[in-house]
Amino acid sequence: MITLQDFMLVSAALFCIGLFIIVAKRNAIQILIGIELMLNAAILNLVAFGRYDRINNGGQMFALFAIVLAAATTAVALAIILNVYRRYKTIDADKINQLKD
Amino acid sequence: MNLAQILFYIMAFVTLGSALVVAISKNLVRSIFMFFVTLFGLAGLYVLAVADFVAVTQIVIYVGGILVLILFAFMLSGKQTLDAVAQQQNKFISLGNLYAFILAALFLVVMVNVVFKADVNALPWVKTAKETGNVIPVNQSGINNIGINLMTRYLLPFEAISILLMIALVGAAHLSRKEGNA
Amino acid sequence: MNPTPFHTDAQTVTLAIIAAVLPFAAFALNFLVFTKSKAAGWVSTTAILGSTILAATVFARVWNNHTIHMQTVWFTIGETKVQVGVLLNNLSVLLLGLVSAVALPVHVYGTAYMKDDENFSTYFRYLSFFCFSMLALVIVDSLITFYAFWELVGFSSYLLIGFWYHRDKAVAANKKAFIMNRIGDAGLLTAIIILFTQFGTFDIDALFGAGGLVAKSALANGLWSAGSGSIPAVWHYVAFGGIFLAVAAKSAQFPLHTWLPDAMEGPTSVSALIHAATMVASGVFLLGRVYPLFIGEELTILAVIGCFTAFMAATIALTQNDLKRILAYSTVSQLGYMVMAMGVGAYSSSLFHLATHAFFKCLLFLVAGIVIHEVKHIKDENNLDIDPQDIRLMGGLRKKLPVTFAVAVVGSLALIGLPLTSGYLSKDGILIQAFDWSEAQPGILKLIPAFALFTSWLTAFYVTRLVVKVFFGEFRLLHANPGIHVHASDGGFAYKIPLMVLALCCLFPLFSVNPLSYETSWLYEGLVAKHSEGGGSIYHLLIPALVNIISIVVMYAAYIIYVKRDTVPFPQTGLFYRISYHEWYIDRFYNRVIVKYTVAFSNLLFWVDRNVIDGFVHLLERIGRCIAKAAAWCDKYIVDGALWLIAKLVQEVGGFVRRFQGGKIQYYLYSMLLAVIAVFIFKLIWA
Repeated sequence: MITLQDFMLVSAALFCIGLFIIVAKRNAIQILIGIELMLNAAILNLVAFGRYDRINNGGQMFALFAIVLAAATTAVALAIILNVYRRYKTIDADKINQLKD
Repeated sequence: MNLAQILFYIMAFVTLGSALVVAISKNLVRSIFMFFVTLFGLAGLYVLAVADFVAVTQIVIYVGGILVLILFAFMLSGKQTLDAVAQQQNKFISLGNLYAFILAALFLVVMVNVVFKADVNALPWVKTAKETGNVIPVNQSGINNIGINLMTRYLLPFEAISILLMIALVGAAHLSRKEGNA
Repeated sequence: MNPTPFHTDAQTVTLAIIAAVLPFAAFALNFLVFTKSKAAGWVSTTAILGSTILAATVFARVWNNHTIHMQTVWFTIGETKVQVGVLLNNLSVLLLGLVSAVALPVHVYGTAYMKDDENFSTYFRYLSFFCFSMLALVIVDSLITFYAFWELVGFSSYLLIGFWYHRDKAVAANKKAFIMNRIGDAGLLTAIIILFTQFGTFDIDALFGAGGLVAKSALANGLWSAGSGSIPAVWHYVAFGGIFLAVAAKSAQFPLHTWLPDAMEGPTSVSALIHAATMVASGVFLLGRVYPLFIGEELTILAVIGCFTAFMAATIALTQNDLKRILAYSTVSQLGYMVMAMGVGAYSSSLFHLATHAFFKCLLFLVAGIVIHEVKHIKDENNLDIDPQDIRLMGGLRKKLPVTFAVAVVGSLALIGLPLTSGYLSKDGILIQAFDWSEAQPGILKLIPAFALFTSWLTAFYVTRLVVKVFFGEFRLLHANPGIHVHASDGGFAYKIPLMVLALCCLFPLFSVNPLSYETSWLYEGLVAKHSEGGGSIYHLLIPALVNIISIVVMYAAYIIYVKRDTVPFPQTGLFYRISYHEWYIDRFYNRVIVKYTVAFSNLLFWVDRNVIDGFVHLLERIGRCIAKAAAWCDKYIVDGALWLIAKLVQEVGGFVRRFQGGKIQYYLYSMLLAVIAVFIFKLIWA
């Protein structure tokens, strides 16, 4: 029997890997991939819990919404990355540091 | 141990392994394609969580949409990114990576700790759902139910999310335009 | 007794002051406005013309009239009021008129003589400054102001001797003159201090006037007692010594006379005004001012020194070849006469001679200036390497320079003292009074008038030699360098008119109606204190005859000797010749004995200064530096170190914090996540 706990452990591991990618990678596209991984970890949790709500399908619904939102986020993020690239001629997050003092 | 469990472990392994490769690989193209594998692995996990509609949606939207978008951005960002592709850093664990790794490991420890402490299998509402049979059975697809719910109970969020999606797409298209024509 | 009641004393004083200040105004104007302009000459000349007119007016009002003395309080120290004012008596108005009257022709002459000089304006600036100092010197009434102008006169003389400062000799000469004069100035200052200590006032009139403080004081029992108290008599002699030094320096008396011949490095017109007529007379003027101070032995010393100087300078003048140097020694000689006259009690004759000498010596210098100018002109035109002042190269110039020759003869006759000239009147007066005086003197002092007499024959000889060598015979330079281009002339009116005016002043009518008796001269009468009845003396007949007959003989002899100029007339190896030619070895003596040891002593002092005093100072400096270094070390490493530590701490903290604000979103994210995990861990452990 696959328990909820198993799903949650996988989800936690996946989340941590996404987190690692976000913090460690310097390429904006990879950071985006990291964000997607974390989102997917969250969606996995929703789906896993959604099994215990047959009538309302709350978990699966929110998983769907989250997937759509992730798509929207990705679209906007990629547009931003393209703009950044156009302005700075780089997508290296280390080099885009105009926010500093 | 039944087949479902074996499949679960395989899927979990595929998912986590490919995610790790995504994290570790210095090659952007390779990490993008391993992300593709990760998404498939996740779709498998969704199936094992009896959410086949979500799994399909995952494949359609993520693999068909997001991944293509990412590849598209990768191609558009030109020479510098391609240089970054060629760039192979020989140090596997640099100092920045080490800090990130420590942070991630801390999070993992904390979350696993929380998972074990929470004892999710014995949550009250899960128990109630099991007792009342409010559990999606393994052999029964819930697609009908999902469609009905989507059009009734979740109609407002559905409309809201569609408008949001449209706005995001319009915004993304606007952002991507050349500045001179804006 | 005021015959012209519409003149007030205050007016007269004002006129005198204006006469003195006008040249200063010209100086200021030239200094500020006409710094490069030829107009400077006319500014100065106009000023001195004004001064002359005013001086003449003042002279007419004061001469043989009552003494005018006006003063005002300058400053007060304790109980002592120091006055400053104007004292106009016969002596000062005579000098006032004399200085301005001599200065006027010299100014006119200077406008022509200096016109090609690049520092034309500077020349007149200095000249006006000199005239101001000299005119002010003669009218001031206080020893303090007298001393100030005495110094200014010396200073302007220094400037003018060194006018051609690019010549090394001129610079050496003006230094020499300045140092010599400093010795005299120190003497004068000493005398002033002693007089002030004794009498408590600087007022010349109160000190030396009729019935003044000096007249009331007496030397008795080794004490010099004045009204208020008494000091040892030695101070009287010290004061005399100081004044004598001042006179000797300014009027070029032995032993301080050596600067005057060297001072001829200045422009000739300057020599004429300053080093023949006016400034060198200021020593005699000083003697005249303080005359009542002197007592018997001191006067005798003056007489001896004056006589010796006159004799020595005359012997030196015999053999010199430099035109201006001969005249300079002649000046020294004549000044010796004046000082001797003071010494023998011929007060008025001395000043009379001062006045006549001013005119004829000025005239002779101006003549010399023209001659030198023309010879220099020939030299420049033909690129000859000669000294334009060497009389051995001249000759026959009477045809080229007729006017100059004529006035030179007049001036020379006046200098020799032949009848019908002014020199006769004043010089014979001195000689006669010297003989009168020697009657009462013991032993060797009787020789003084004899020496003076002999000196006057020497004068006749060297003056004749000079005139003959310059104006008679044939032009030696042409003889030695045949084919050179020679043209010379008397020059324009700026040359001729001053010469002729001065030549007229050298003749007797200006001073006396009777050309043979000095005692009838108005000038003599105006200066003599009490009319002495010495007319019965045999000397009054004998001396003039003796002087003039022998002088004429000497002149004829000199003419005969020097008009034939093919051979050297005298052997040039004799002892007397060498003594004379080397100016009695006085300069050499000074250089060997005084200058050498002074320089050696100075070097010693310099060494002491450098090694002992500076060494001590360096030691102090080194100690100071060590302390300073220690302090600097403390400052740097302890005080600054503490500050630096604090600063570094703040900086490090800032830098550490700053790293979170690196503008890199991943750092922000990392920090945020770190905070989140910290909260989680905290919750897990303590919750």
